[in-house]
Amino acid sequence: MAAPMELFCWAGGWGLPSVDLDSLAVLTYTRFTGAPLKVHKISNPWQSPSGIQCPCKKGTGRGGAGDQSVMQTSMCGQARILLINSFSISGTLPALRTSNGEVISVPHKIITHLRKEKYNADYDLSARQGADTLAFMSLLEEKLLPVLIHTFWIDAKNYVEVTRKWYAEAMPFPLNFFLPGRMQRQHMERLQLLCGEHKPENEEELEKELYQEARECLTLLSQRLGSRKFFFGDAPASLDAFVFSHLVLLLQAKLPSGKLQAHLRGLNNLCVYCTHILSLYFPRDGAEVPPPQQTPAGPETEEEPYRRRNQILSVLAGLAAMVGYALLSGIVSIHRATPARTPNTQALGMAEEDEEE
Amino acid sequence: MSLVAEAFVSQIAFLQMCNLPVKVVCRANAEYMSPSGKVPFIHVGNQVVSELGPIVQFVKAKGHSLSDGLDEVQRAEMKAYMELVNNMLLTAELYLQWCDEATVGEITHARYGSPYPWPLNHILAYQKQWEVKRKMKAIGWGNKTLDQVLEDVDQCCQALSQRLGTQPYFFNKQPTELDALVFGHLYTILTTQLTSDELSEKVKNYSNLLAFCRRIEQHYFEDRGKGRLS
Repeated sequence: MAAPMELFCWAGGWGLPSVDLDSLAVLTYTRFTGAPLKVHKISNPWQSPSGIQCPCKKGTGRGGAGDQSVMQTSMCGQARILLINSFSISGTLPALRTSNGEVISVPHKIITHLRKEKYNADYDLSARQGADTLAFMSLLEEKLLPVLIHTFWIDAKNYVEVTRKWYAEAMPFPLNFFLPGRMQRQHMERLQLLCGEHKPENEEELEKELYQEARECLTLLSQRLGSRKFFFGDAPASLDAFVFSHLVLLLQAKLPSGKLQAHLRGLNNLCVYCTHILSLYFPRDGAEVPPPQQTPAGPETEEEPYRRRNQILSVLAGLAAMVGYALLSGIVSIHRATPARTPNTQALGMAEEDEEE
Repeated sequence: MSLVAEAFVSQIAFLQMCNLPVKVVCRANAEYMSPSGKVPFIHVGNQVVSELGPIVQFVKAKGHSLSDGLDEVQRAEMKAYMELVNNMLLTAELYLQWCDEATVGEITHARYGSPYPWPLNHILAYQKQWEVKRKMKAIGWGNKTLDQVLEDVDQCCQALSQRLGTQPYFFNKQPTELDALVFGHLYTILTTQLTSDELSEKVKNYSNLLAFCRRIEQHYFEDRGKGRLS
């Protein structure tokens, strides 16, 4: 019997089922189509099945870093169990493990695979609507995605107060020191390559231009959606999954510097669209947002096991360091207590005392 | 195949569609005259504008616009399709020029390095190739094979063909900047000689796109005497 498909994606936060754009898009698509997936929400990309696995498994295929690897591993049952307990240095999320062990990590390819497995949200679309889907996804990728990357990863205030804070708190102990920084560098490089052709005189102009185009893109999406429930009538399609993931991140995250957010909030039909999908397909996650009293307690209780453990660890580490230093530098020395003294030595000791007096 | 050619044809087509008279002038230092460093560009009075987007805005500011008759939904669709063309066709052409070894070796390296003396021609060509490969990786095209790229082109052409349908232009009876852009790309693909004909074959599969190109060529370029689409 084929194993069920498993989806590994970033954990939820900010009132959303996932904080990562690609994970959100894939999750939304699976909810739309009702695909029976086992969803693992993790906050450690090294637990993802994609990327280079350590220890190495016998398998064919290209092992590649980052999000372009489709690893084909032929494993027996035992090896697969080992895989779950191993980690991958350059693993990325989201990643789908199919029923025959193949790992797919590019979001578009994940959705193509789901379509092949007969979970197709675009089944009822006409040819022209399919063409429109392609066009609007290109629009999202070209105009909105760069600005989303900039808003969450490059803008200093947002990065420090929102993005890095979430990732650093969510990731386990040694990774939270360097992984968020590494992710930021990767995003910055990607953004530079995406917009590198324009080469304006200064960064501010580029920023202004990018945000201008993003605002235009949001307005266009709003005009295209009109007053409909979804982009193509009453049933959601893959385009809705992508648009929703892009918009809802911008809408829900509490950004200190949210220029685009303000513009999005002004487009009423898009806000209604997002909250409608969130309440319909992610009722549990969506319910976290309205009651403000619960939210301070919620994340704290989640953080508590980590915080307690980190506190104990740091105290122990400090103690060990102090004691070790004291011993090594001779401030404190441990003498083994000698057995009962012989009478000769005792007499000598007393004689010395007399001399001193 | 040159990306400059596509831009050139698109811009000329757009200006012809607006019924604006245009004269083509060749200059050796054109790249330096252009405000963004990209050729071609238009020179009107004492203003210089390059790239199709700014040219469209400029012409609109002067009171000529092809997309005034469109409603909001159509304008959104037009922009989306323009992005589709830019995203897929332009990237595919860039890939073919710089990442397909056969084309790079035979055509691109030689053409790109031709204005420079040895060894600069090789160095600059390799540098440019490395830059383009980096960009491809960043947008997720790094590991694509030629077949996958051709499949993407096919998908894009299929989308354009489905959107065009049996209409004369993308938005009913009047051409818009989308028509100019698509014509620029398709015309260049169909008329440029490459190491293999696979790319133009993909476009030729769609008869309505071929008819569309022929129609625009006959309508707007007939006085130039170019009848290269046969």
